[in-house]
Amino acid sequence: MLWLLAAELRKLVRPLVWGTALAIVAFCLLITWGAANNARAGLASPRIPDVCVQAVTAQCRLVVAHAHATARAAAAATAQLAQPGEVGHVAAGMLASLPGLLLIAMIAGGHWGGEWGSRTIRQLLCREGRRGRVLAAKWLSTWIAGVLTLLACFLVLAGAAPVIAAAAGLPAAHAGLWAGLGSSISAAGRAVVVLGLFAAIGTAAGTVGRGQLATTALTAGSMLLALLVAGIAGLGRLSPASFVQAWMAFGPAGYLPTNFWSRFAGAGPSLGELAGLAGILVTIAIAAGIARWRFAADVTA
Amino acid sequence: MNVISCTRLTKRFGATVAVRELDLDVAAGQVYGFLGPNGAGKTTTIRMLLGLIAPTAGHIRLLGRPLPDPRAVSRTGSMIEEPAFYPWLTGQQNLQVTAWAGGGRAAGELGRVLDATGLGAVAGRKVRTYSQGMRQRLGLAAAMLGRPPLLVIDEPTNGLDPAGIREVRGLLRDLADSGTAVFMSSHLLAEVEQVCDRVAVIVAGRLVEEGPPARLGATRRRVRVRVREADAETAGRLLTRWRARPLDGQFVVEHDSGRDVNAALVAGGVIAESVAVEAPRLEDRFLEIVEEGTHAVAAGG
Repeated sequence: MLWLLAAELRKLVRPLVWGTALAIVAFCLLITWGAANNARAGLASPRIPDVCVQAVTAQCRLVVAHAHATARAAAAATAQLAQPGEVGHVAAGMLASLPGLLLIAMIAGGHWGGEWGSRTIRQLLCREGRRGRVLAAKWLSTWIAGVLTLLACFLVLAGAAPVIAAAAGLPAAHAGLWAGLGSSISAAGRAVVVLGLFAAIGTAAGTVGRGQLATTALTAGSMLLALLVAGIAGLGRLSPASFVQAWMAFGPAGYLPTNFWSRFAGAGPSLGELAGLAGILVTIAIAAGIARWRFAADVTA
Repeated sequence: MNVISCTRLTKRFGATVAVRELDLDVAAGQVYGFLGPNGAGKTTTIRMLLGLIAPTAGHIRLLGRPLPDPRAVSRTGSMIEEPAFYPWLTGQQNLQVTAWAGGGRAAGELGRVLDATGLGAVAGRKVRTYSQGMRQRLGLAAAMLGRPPLLVIDEPTNGLDPAGIREVRGLLRDLADSGTAVFMSSHLLAEVEQVCDRVAVIVAGRLVEEGPPARLGATRRRVRVRVREADAETAGRLLTRWRARPLDGQFVVEHDSGRDVNAALVAGGVIAESVAVEAPRLEDRFLEIVEEGTHAVAAGG
């Protein structure tokens, strides 16, 4: 099994995977850069109601003071989130939400669905006919690629985000550089579980789609559908998107968003974290069952 | 010992019967040719032998083990149709992942198989730059990894130049001499005739002929008779006891004894200008068998 996994990991060293992972890291940097600039703009010109712009009433003075305080707090929160210890929340949130889903969908498409398109699936199955092992190796290697991208994103942001915040002229963070590192690592650990879910869905999608584009579309499409379902009252709690939302405990975003999920996942009654985890594990089991069932069929590529 | 043994092997795709009650035995150390026109069921049979598709009925024993047994398939070297590789990897890397996928036992053999197939000089080049002939050689190299006791290969000389065809022919014979059984399908009948110990011909999913290639021709030898123009009518009448047809001023008689034919002519008062016994090439015999087989299948529904 380890040799097979090594073979699968070796196959992942390809432009498609590098390119997609780099795009995700660049996206995280871009989001940080944009957030820092927005926070600076908010600090320079806080949102003051038009009636108070010229007025000098006591009530307006209070409103203006509150607006400045809010802008300072938002800028400080952004600066704090951009510290190396805290920025793991951004990396974890990105990889456990839509950017991570797109990454896994692309990798699953090329790495698994592409085996059918290029007909290399025949050679693979002639070398390792135990199809359960092939599925496990594909799932693990896709998962590992996602986790390595998360790690890369974390490290790059840890190095670049403080520089971006300083360059934007944001106020210094209250806490130290490495404050919040424990909670960042905890968030990253949770994201690893979600990446496992995305990889399981990608693996199942590969056995259904049996082609690169179909696998990518099915992986991304199934979770996007789950996001839509999550917004339906009653039914939404049973959606895998709700499980992710509950497990990651995504909160409302400030200038620097920590996920691209909560705003789409609906505002229904939230599940507990453990219920979210249980839901994710059940979804992985269902995906594995679908993959086993579909992969047992004839391979005619 | 038989390395391949098929009993009443049948495969249906919906209403279409691709392979019909095929019985086949391949002994260790044999080079076995598997012939048939396009769509005859050759590739379907090979896919069943390699566990890629499941038979609808019948049994296969591969290397003494009943299928589906992934261990038997992984001990078999194979190349199906045009070999497929990962274009972003080099030839050597492709062989490496193939060896790893098979459990790593063959990981130390890359140099041997690259040298045997004449690819040593280009092993470091990306496969996307390979010609069709080079890919074909790489497919053979991959099939040889792990010194399998059985090779199942589809069109092994496809895309090779005459020198390459000769090398591959020698390679297959060397493998057979060292105890490796080779089961190969090919449309190059001259190649099959030179390399194979036994030949099976499949038409419309049915085995219609099986035996050593020389015997396939010998059992249907024919006699070519030349007579004077004045004797042609009488000769034609005398030869009606066999299947005989006039061709370019001669008669082609479906019989394996020139002595019998000459005696019949002499008894009827006709002196032949020449009587020649011809052993048709496998190619001629193959075309006859296919024609007869197609008629038989059509007549049998």
